[in-house]
Amino acid sequence: MTAITGDLKLPKERGKAQVWAVKALPVVVRWVGAIGGALLIFSILLMIKGTNPIDAYADMWASTFTRSASIEEIFTRMTPLVLAALAVAVPARAGLTNVGGEGQIIMGGVAACGAYLFLGDAMAPAVLLVAMVAASVVVGALWAGLAAVLRLAAGVNEAISTLLLNFIALDVLLFLIYQPWRESRTGQPATQELTDLAKLPVVAGTAVNVGIVVAVVLVVAVQVLLTRTRWGFRVSVAGGNAEAARRSGLKVAFLVLSALMIGGALAGLAGMIQFSGVEYKLRPSFGHQLGYIAFLACWLARHKPFPILLASFVFAALSVGGDSLQLDSGVPAASIYVLTALILIAVLGFTTPRKKTT
Amino acid sequence: MSLIVDVLSGGVRGGTSIMYAGLGETVSERSGVINLGTEGSMLVGALGAYAVGVETGSPWVGVLAGAAAGGLLALLHAYLVVRRGASQFASGLTLLFLALGLTSLFGASYVGQPVVGFDRWDVPLLSDIPFVGPILFQQDPLLYLSYFMVPLVWFVLFKTRIGLLIRTAGERSDSLTVHGYSVQTWRMIAVTVGGCLAGIGGAHLSTAYANAWFENMVAGRGFIAVALVIFAVWSPFRVMGGAYLFGTAIALGPALQARGYEINQFLLDAVPFVLTLVVLTVLGKKTLSSSPAELKRVFENAPPAT
Amino acid sequence: MDAMNEHTERIVMSMRKSTLGVLAGLAAGAVILTGCSSATETKAEASEGAPGEGTTAVGFIMVGPKDDYGYNQAVYEGSEVIKKEFPDVEVMTAENVPEDDTAATTMEQMIDKGAKLIFATSYGHLDAALKVAEDHPDVVVVQQGNTITDDVPDNSGTYFGTVYEPMYLAGIAAGASTKTDKLGYVYAFPIPQTIANINAFERGAQSVNPDAETITVSTSSWCDPGKQQAAAESLLSQDVDVLTQHQDCTATVIQAAEKAGAMTVGYHADASSIAPTGWLTGAVWDWGPLYTDIVNKVIDGDFVGSEYNDNFRVGYKTGTNPFVLAPYGPDVTQETQTKITEAQEWLGTDEGSPFVGPVLDQDGKTKVEDGDIPTYAEVDAMDYFVQGVVGKLAQ
Repeated sequence: MTAITGDLKLPKERGKAQVWAVKALPVVVRWVGAIGGALLIFSILLMIKGTNPIDAYADMWASTFTRSASIEEIFTRMTPLVLAALAVAVPARAGLTNVGGEGQIIMGGVAACGAYLFLGDAMAPAVLLVAMVAASVVVGALWAGLAAVLRLAAGVNEAISTLLLNFIALDVLLFLIYQPWRESRTGQPATQELTDLAKLPVVAGTAVNVGIVVAVVLVVAVQVLLTRTRWGFRVSVAGGNAEAARRSGLKVAFLVLSALMIGGALAGLAGMIQFSGVEYKLRPSFGHQLGYIAFLACWLARHKPFPILLASFVFAALSVGGDSLQLDSGVPAASIYVLTALILIAVLGFTTPRKKTT
Repeated sequence: MSLIVDVLSGGVRGGTSIMYAGLGETVSERSGVINLGTEGSMLVGALGAYAVGVETGSPWVGVLAGAAAGGLLALLHAYLVVRRGASQFASGLTLLFLALGLTSLFGASYVGQPVVGFDRWDVPLLSDIPFVGPILFQQDPLLYLSYFMVPLVWFVLFKTRIGLLIRTAGERSDSLTVHGYSVQTWRMIAVTVGGCLAGIGGAHLSTAYANAWFENMVAGRGFIAVALVIFAVWSPFRVMGGAYLFGTAIALGPALQARGYEINQFLLDAVPFVLTLVVLTVLGKKTLSSSPAELKRVFENAPPAT
Repeated sequence: MDAMNEHTERIVMSMRKSTLGVLAGLAAGAVILTGCSSATETKAEASEGAPGEGTTAVGFIMVGPKDDYGYNQAVYEGSEVIKKEFPDVEVMTAENVPEDDTAATTMEQMIDKGAKLIFATSYGHLDAALKVAEDHPDVVVVQQGNTITDDVPDNSGTYFGTVYEPMYLAGIAAGASTKTDKLGYVYAFPIPQTIANINAFERGAQSVNPDAETITVSTSSWCDPGKQQAAAESLLSQDVDVLTQHQDCTATVIQAAEKAGAMTVGYHADASSIAPTGWLTGAVWDWGPLYTDIVNKVIDGDFVGSEYNDNFRVGYKTGTNPFVLAPYGPDVTQETQTKITEAQEWLGTDEGSPFVGPVLDQDGKTKVEDGDIPTYAEVDAMDYFVQGVVGKLAQ
């Protein structure tokens, strides 16, 4: 051994920064290449539609990053994405796939609205806010918990059950909006608007609701939960190999249940923030697509809390950029999904060394 | 027409697009790959068939285009999952968004343009059978084709070598390799075929059923198809039954409304999903055990825990 | 070996820390960026003149695509008229703007680009429109179709044509042409315009054919071809032989009718080309003149206190209804056409209205007394279906 180490010049004798660069360079190159490829393909599509891609990108950049209103919009849109992405990350730690963010957000929003409708204006706003938070967290947790129970009791895979629950949640939302909670018998289906006092306050000087602060705090909290608590450790053991975990005495059932419920709680909270900070009433399009985009953001971030912040920022920025795409370049706003998807494909497929099939 | 015949006929018609997609997803999942992007394949299939139908005036050429479009999207999914090791769920959803964006971008100019679609053609003799006639034999040609697709898919999957290879890729992939076949190749073939069928399903929606194109018109049918395959325990004939069941649930609402009944539409809309959950729960661990082994691994091998 | 592994671990750890550091830096940067922008952004100066005065840009937001052969296409064509009439004014359009908070964002972006007049053209855009109007007192935001129930702010208003008047006339055509006495109506939501449309259609049909009934099916969507098809099929199977609709995209229902050999009353656009045999007539938008008048008033600084600074409705009685009758199809007899022309004239008089009392609801209760004529505002507040209409309104 000594002979070998004597001959080799150990990396640590060479300067940490140099080593870091050598290791990081191919990663950076891959990422830049992947994203560059995505932009290139998107540019070609724009050109097919008769739009100048350079102009389009320049306009998008200008509209998105030089207007303070747009930047604030990014943070507003980012908040539910962060929380819903965390809702995917926590169960992932336990080896579970939670595709149900969409439905959990909806149920959270429904719960918050329900709390408002039942408790009414009589309460002090602070109490009402607390009630809404509690309701949304509990309902979101239960909605996800249902999937956990089905898995534990009947072996129903949670990816499928949470997906199905998304559709059921949507129907619950529509039912409530169209019937019992409908504000007026005629007109567009929607619930009563939230009283001003109960709307989420904004961060001083901006139009961004305080949900963003909550989101950041929870990112830290989840990071701590996953990496520094006993529960987090046990969950990751169970997620790595459930059988071995069971044999070593861990209560896998409890871990599965709690992981999914925490995920559901986080997504439910996202729904509450969306309701009381952005939408103020339930409409048929409430929380539309947020759950799925957050799922993808979580993947982009490789299920880690801090990168989730970045990934959510990127997706929120893309979404705001999409609005500009339409206004400035006449391209339908939904086409931003193409760019989003291309970036994801590039990352999913081309930024990690080849692996065997899952 | 009586309410029942009305509803069932509409159910078969509305469920056909779901059935095509379900058949496709069955093939894909039998090989061990789940494709949440089936909805996307249906979307591009719907637009592809519609656009080509408008341009060429031939609905059948449109169907070919739709199948090709759906297949291409699925091929991308197959590539990402099989060759690049991407997560099946993430890849599927990503491609769904790609499809949403692409069809928005390129479909806008086709909204409102009339297409020569598939017209109803009553099968001689058979369509006169009471009750069954109006339900099964007073439909469009693409729907009649689906009647043959079901046994065809069943036959290929269970009675041919190709089907055996596909199923083995999903059950015992190492066994395939031992015999000198490429698991990757056969999976990719299965997933792509799945996408082609989903594309045909989308084509039915836009050129035979609704005769229109609109953004996001598939409206969740692709997801229903994915759930349906599991509900049907990966069997083509059960997929057929399930698709018609779902189609019927969708058709029930308007049929009741037109007769003056006040129905809770959303309860009805939720029935297929609740039903699927119930069936999955009741079948319980048996379903999981009868799923293709590789698929089981996909479901159990969650994302990397850091 | 162990030393290498340990070292690799340390590198990985430091990479993790670096990632955190990078992220922290990014986050800080973002905060600073925001702070900087707020500090240097020039707030919109309160202009001296009236809201929207002298604006050099006008914006239109639409809920759907501009070529939907229906509602949004009509809006777009109206915006094209503005482009022609006002060559020095920049006309901005945004399609597929959902009826929620996103609409406000889009309008804000238009304002940033200099628009001081915005048309929010879908019924569900009202909330966003009012929010934007409140935040920008110097910008006029007018909304198409809804009604402002509280005080109308100085810089906003709603406008619409009385769509139900041509629908009454179309109902006459339908009632006269139907052989089964069953008419079908596919609609999205029971908003006041839709209810008025359905009621007027039925009343028009009844005026020439007392046995005619209108069966209604709701799709709960402004455009979902799958649901539209299901709705059309369910009506056709009930022996309905005239179909009409209140949807944003109209092709599916019309084609379903044509294929089944039923007749069609169109909506939003003249779709006679896709229904050559069954087309009767339809109600079609012509927004040009109304949009032009609004733009003129705003540019001249005369918006505040004008008729548009209110819930403006125009119909046959008061002016040029932006909703006109489409050309007739082959099945409409000369006799029917004459009746329709006479009815249109009658509607323009003080005594004419689709809802001249007595009007009974589905339960037989009298809603409009004998001889009474409801005002445009009262029609807007209708929350019941008239007798002869089959289908229930949400409870």
